[in-house]
Amino acid sequence: MNREEEKLIQRDRMRFTKNSLSSTLVYIAILFDVFFFVSIYKSDVGSWYYNILIGASILYNLIFMLASFLASEGIKNYKFSFSIVLFVLGAIQICRIFIYPMMAHSATVDLQGEAVTVMGDGQFFRCVIYLVCSAACLIASAVIGAIRSRTLAAHMATITEKAA
Amino acid sequence: MAEISVQHIDKIYDNNVQAVFDFNLDVKDGELIVLVGPSGCGKSTTLRMIAGLEDISAGKLLLDGKDITKTPAKDRDMAMVFQSYALYGHMTIYENMAFSLTLRKENPNVIHKKVLAAAEILGLTSQLNKKPSQLSGGQRQRVAMGRSIVRNPKVFLFDEPLSNLDAKLRGATRREILLLHKRLGATMLYVTHDQTEALTLADRIVCMSMGHVQQVGTPLELYDSPANIFVASFIGLPPMNFFDVKVNGKELVGDGFKVPLSDEEADVIKNYQGKEITLGVRPEDVVDNGDIKLRVVMNENLGMNTLVHGHIGSADTAALKLTAKLRGWAEYKNGDTVGVSFGRKHFFDKETTNAIRKGAK
Repeated sequence: MNREEEKLIQRDRMRFTKNSLSSTLVYIAILFDVFFFVSIYKSDVGSWYYNILIGASILYNLIFMLASFLASEGIKNYKFSFSIVLFVLGAIQICRIFIYPMMAHSATVDLQGEAVTVMGDGQFFRCVIYLVCSAACLIASAVIGAIRSRTLAAHMATITEKAA
Repeated sequence: MAEISVQHIDKIYDNNVQAVFDFNLDVKDGELIVLVGPSGCGKSTTLRMIAGLEDISAGKLLLDGKDITKTPAKDRDMAMVFQSYALYGHMTIYENMAFSLTLRKENPNVIHKKVLAAAEILGLTSQLNKKPSQLSGGQRQRVAMGRSIVRNPKVFLFDEPLSNLDAKLRGATRREILLLHKRLGATMLYVTHDQTEALTLADRIVCMSMGHVQQVGTPLELYDSPANIFVASFIGLPPMNFFDVKVNGKELVGDGFKVPLSDEEADVIKNYQGKEITLGVRPEDVVDNGDIKLRVVMNENLGMNTLVHGHIGSADTAALKLTAKLRGWAEYKNGDTVGVSFGRKHFFDKETTNAIRKGAK
């Protein structure tokens, strides 16, 4: 089997196999998001402002997990539109770094005359790493999915052309 | 090349029940052997012993001259197709067919080529993305066969693969198996209790009963020259008619009827003069033109033929049942009498139940 033939077979295999690499990357992204989700609870210092931020973050996490899971099913079947969805979700994960962990990092609140740190350095870096990893997985999944779906579409067009 | 030699194989279970007795068979390369017999005769046990799914209690099993009696099933290079298809419901047809090769960590591109080639042979190319639940029984059985084909095994083993299919599908799938055998030229062992499958598929048939091999031969040999009463009654549809008769010169005398013999027939049973033997006559060898009175009980029209069931001999001998397969459409009613005669006759020793051949004593 020469290199050209191997490439052709590789493309043809996509007709019958799922894009499991992309979908697995999405599952990993969800897992990192769950780690982030769990990590932010430590910032529950009793301040209503940060409580609202945590609540909003939790709500978004639920939406994110649902959207990511649905997108993983789409990307598994080489649907190009879901690559865009995943890319957007990845971009939002990066933006989130600048919202909650960044705003809470090293901030202090005065509770009954005592200054309490909302998010320490360790917790902050952990949250950032989780979000970066989650975003990286989503963007990688989106890129791989986009390339594969385009390749498959071109291959199917060739087959249809040949059949005609 | 794949030649199998089964030498004096026995199967004795832990509870001392013996399922197979001294089974011997030499299968040539590319031959399709059908093991046929009633339920519980040991045919599936024999096949499972050959596949390595059952231990062989005694005897030897050789594949291309190499002793594989103790070789584990996975190393025997044989593929088995089961009655129940054994497909994975959560996998697509493509994944089902590729599964065994994936487990062996073969190159995915090679697997792909093999799966597509097998799907092409079996006409499953358009079904590869479907799940087994979306296919008909016949298609599922083809997938099970495809899963065997991709492995390119030395021997294919089929354990009643058509039993779950309806009659029409069974006929179609049977023809597909025959075409597949011709196309692949592979050595195949096929177990069935259906004699039609055996007669239509086999290069040679092994007829079994109670764990013993009754006869090994081509379909024509088993049909035309059955070795004993069991084979004669098992092969052929409707089954052969049997009557106890006494040899008297050049005729056979039964209870209330006489059957004249030709010189050749008389010569076969010349050593049985004055003795009782069993006469066997196939329904298709009964002709509606003769002196034997057949009292009709019922009539079954099959289109091209008519099956006439009734009694011959003395009026009080209800046991002398005769089924005649007469050509054409006939309308007989209960109580009608038809004069019949017998064409080809088979003679069996009453004590041993073995066929009487020329020169037998």
